[in-house]
Amino acid sequence: MEHPSISRRRLLALFGAAASVPVLAACGSSVGGGGGGAPAGGGGGGAVKVGLVVPQSGVYAALGTDMQRGWELWLGQNGGKFGNYTVETVVADEGETPNTGQPAVQKVLQSDNVDVVVGLVNSATALGVANLLTESKKLLVVTNAGAGDVTGAKRTPYIWRTSFTNAQVSAAMGTHLAQSGFKDGVFALAPDYAAGTEVIAGFTKTFEAGGGKVVGTAKPAFGKTSDYQPFLTQIQQSGAKATFCFFSGSEAITFVRQYAQFGLASTIPLYGSGFLTEGNVLPQQGDAALGVQTTLHYSDQLDNPANKAFVESYTAKYGESPSCFSAQTYDAANVLNRALRTATALDGDSIAGALGGIGTVEDSPRGPWTFDGQTPKQNLYLRKVEKVNGTLVNAVVQDLGQQSQPL
Amino acid sequence: MTAIEAPTVPGGAPASAPRVTRARTGIIAVAVLVVLAAAPFMLAPFATTTLTRVLVFALFAVSLDLLVGVTGLPSLGHAAYLGAGAYAAGWVSINVTAEAPVPLLVGAGFGALAAALTGWVTVRSHGVFFLMLTLAIGETLQQLADTWETVTGGANGLTGIPAVRLAGTPLANAGFTYWYVLAVGVIGFALVVMVARSPFGAALRGIRDNEPRMRALGYSTARYKYAVIVMAGAVAGLAGALLVAQQRLVTPADMGFATASFALLAVIIGGAGSLWGACLGAALVIIIRDALGPSLDGHGTLVLGIVFVLVVYLLPRGAAGLRIYRRRR
Amino acid sequence: MLVSVLNGFSVGFLLFVLAVGLSIVFGMMDVLNLAHGALFLCGAYLGATFAGGWGGFLGALGLAAVFGLVGGGLLSLMTEPLRKRSHLDQALLTLGVALVAAEVLAIVFGDDPLSVAAPPGLNDSVQVFGVSYPTYRLVIIGVGAVLALAVYLVVERTRLGALVRATVADREMVSVLGVDNRLVKAAVFAIGSVLATTAGVLGGPIYGARPGLDATVLILALVVVVIGGLGSVRGALIGALIIGQVDIVGKYLLPDLSSFILFAALALVLVLRPQGLFGGPVGTAGAR
Repeated sequence: MEHPSISRRRLLALFGAAASVPVLAACGSSVGGGGGGAPAGGGGGGAVKVGLVVPQSGVYAALGTDMQRGWELWLGQNGGKFGNYTVETVVADEGETPNTGQPAVQKVLQSDNVDVVVGLVNSATALGVANLLTESKKLLVVTNAGAGDVTGAKRTPYIWRTSFTNAQVSAAMGTHLAQSGFKDGVFALAPDYAAGTEVIAGFTKTFEAGGGKVVGTAKPAFGKTSDYQPFLTQIQQSGAKATFCFFSGSEAITFVRQYAQFGLASTIPLYGSGFLTEGNVLPQQGDAALGVQTTLHYSDQLDNPANKAFVESYTAKYGESPSCFSAQTYDAANVLNRALRTATALDGDSIAGALGGIGTVEDSPRGPWTFDGQTPKQNLYLRKVEKVNGTLVNAVVQDLGQQSQPL
Repeated sequence: MTAIEAPTVPGGAPASAPRVTRARTGIIAVAVLVVLAAAPFMLAPFATTTLTRVLVFALFAVSLDLLVGVTGLPSLGHAAYLGAGAYAAGWVSINVTAEAPVPLLVGAGFGALAAALTGWVTVRSHGVFFLMLTLAIGETLQQLADTWETVTGGANGLTGIPAVRLAGTPLANAGFTYWYVLAVGVIGFALVVMVARSPFGAALRGIRDNEPRMRALGYSTARYKYAVIVMAGAVAGLAGALLVAQQRLVTPADMGFATASFALLAVIIGGAGSLWGACLGAALVIIIRDALGPSLDGHGTLVLGIVFVLVVYLLPRGAAGLRIYRRRR
Repeated sequence: MLVSVLNGFSVGFLLFVLAVGLSIVFGMMDVLNLAHGALFLCGAYLGATFAGGWGGFLGALGLAAVFGLVGGGLLSLMTEPLRKRSHLDQALLTLGVALVAAEVLAIVFGDDPLSVAAPPGLNDSVQVFGVSYPTYRLVIIGVGAVLALAVYLVVERTRLGALVRATVADREMVSVLGVDNRLVKAAVFAIGSVLATTAGVLGGPIYGARPGLDATVLILALVVVVIGGLGSVRGALIGALIIGQVDIVGKYLLPDLSSFILFAALALVLVLRPQGLFGGPVGTAGAR
């Protein structure tokens, strides 16, 4: 039965050839040294290489597009330079999960030899690449991933964030609802996964601290629930005066539409974390989203000069309004620019040190904010979905003041 | 080393192979091993890491091939056991010790345990039924990993896993990790080959080819199937421990439908039943996904799907069947 | 509670339309069509593209039928050369086709999740048991029941149905009788696929259309088929209705365990009755 012949050897050769595909990028040795790249040059000009790792495929692809646009817009407006360094950007696809995100970060670090990594939507990826950055002593600026641990319990000096934390956004809503007449009953629900748990925890903590009472909770299966009727009926029967929820992407669309279809929208007001109505989900929700109120650190409707200019140039360039994802990445470029003005070198320690000293970012579209530790202390806004000139927008209702990452 | 690379053609009796052939096979096997062992000296760290991923996935595919190719049990839930081993190895590395054999043994043990706890549901089924039941089991275990946040970290994954330590020294760089994975992978591969060539393996092939006859011959086929499911689970768990050594992170995505179906693709592309073919298939899958995918706008899956469909048509025995075709011509 | 039961029925009937095609194709040819979910998603995207008016909705249904016929015919043709090989090879072929189809759909329709409006008149809610209930879902119950009856009548009362049942029972005998069972297979494949794309259009206003939906509904359909037993219209109907109730009422009663309810039900059925509620002994179909 055995017929080893020439073709198997060919196959083995093929195996060898195939295995060598990724090698084409660079030759060298993987043995010796701790994995650090070439020592970075001093502060006197030259180039800084940035790996922009954002989703180009999968369910977060739309976020990736917004992020890349925010990045390119800032660079376009500022001559493509951070301090005296010319910025060279390498884009890599984060994909949907750490299965794709981790290799992408590894690729820009090890194969493209970037000095700084920017991006990341998925929290698991941001947490999972911590050791890569720590060991190579390179800086990562997270422009979305909201897990508290990234800059909290599992923090490393090399990972900073220009976005938000899940609990920060929902904590603001907890305080607000406790103060606005819903003390005696809110129903809280979020998908059954880590971010959902964090959002609910952040909300519950401040809501109860303000004297509020959560009358019921539910955890719909994450990514597998397309019918929320059983949960909606529970909300109705719980006697809740309001609903607080966190959903994003297709789940946000489905939930908001069904909330209206099953008649809850007119009787039990819907509140949520800002992602419920942010970005590309809002047009798909349509009129079902009208009146939904959310908290977030950004809205394209914010009335400040920096945001007006940002929205105007963004819309002129890309034909649509920016989302918080665009603003977060725009700000990442902004803070890196400030840091590289003073940083003595391009290694993670030098840039991290410089980032700690940039003070208030006063020209951010989201309003002035500062780094508290490695994550923003920023204003949170109460927003309400309204129709302006036939388009649904997140109108800013109230400024809820500055908040940092809750402990 | 001869035993390791000799292909196990379906129904073939490797021991009867002519001496010259065995020698040639041995030479090829040694050559491949030497090239693999020397790779980190020649490759940049990212290429070495990619090759490490190939090795991990190859061992996983080989463990699946023990079910699919050798026993004829197509599983779409095998990634669950990879995940069980990975989580267990990761947990032990964080909370107890990352000293070398411990995570491996724990990983293999938990892979086997998970397979033992769930496998009994499937032993009376076969063919597409087995496919569906294992799919359901895989989905359920993945959900468990997603929900059980205190142990698994939920969707954020189990992070902060320390590097494997060998005699007290952590394997901090890509090259050393690669050798560690290679060494363990070769041992795992050898174990699977030994199982496949043993009388037990012959009985498994008997079940694959004609289960009722085996039953008539007095074999308790359900017991054999249960045993091989647990063994495959153990090897998958071992691969899980290697996965942790390489990526130092486990998430529910590692044990999902995508991982399971990619492994099945690897096995079929390589030729079900051919253990080295499974390695070849695994290499192709990982290279398309990790090295080519990013430059195809994330459409690596499209390429994989097309390759897969073509292989099913053109190479009924997968890449391993190539030479048979040639011979007939 | 009553609303949940009612809603369980609307989900159940939709699941029936989705799963019955899979069940028949599977029962008859042992071809587990893993591309079934992709067909559903194709229907859902057609519905999303033409959503808005009745014309668009009916047009989408018509187009979905055409796509289903073509898709089913193609799948039947594609699996034909593998006839002599194991049924596993055919199932795996459809897995490859499903991967390719899902990618092509993502390229054509983009990665963004889309919502689909129900046709005018059905797009609002009515009062049922004292609470609002979307009209469209009530209609789905009716449409699902009619389709169930139609499929049942076709399978039980027509010549084609007799052939299908005979083929499920003993394929060799049917071909000995001089019936070209390739044609029977193509016909059944086409009908099963049309039902899948139709379910996609019908399900659009409830599920929307997005990448990944194909895998979600495929798994649901597989659960239905496993619980109901393969190859049986009655099994698919009852399996779908049970899953509809378990999924909806179960989540209502145990909201914090909703992630596990579906598979817990599946595991229970499998432990008690491995061949499904209405299937024959497991060995019969799988062994051929």
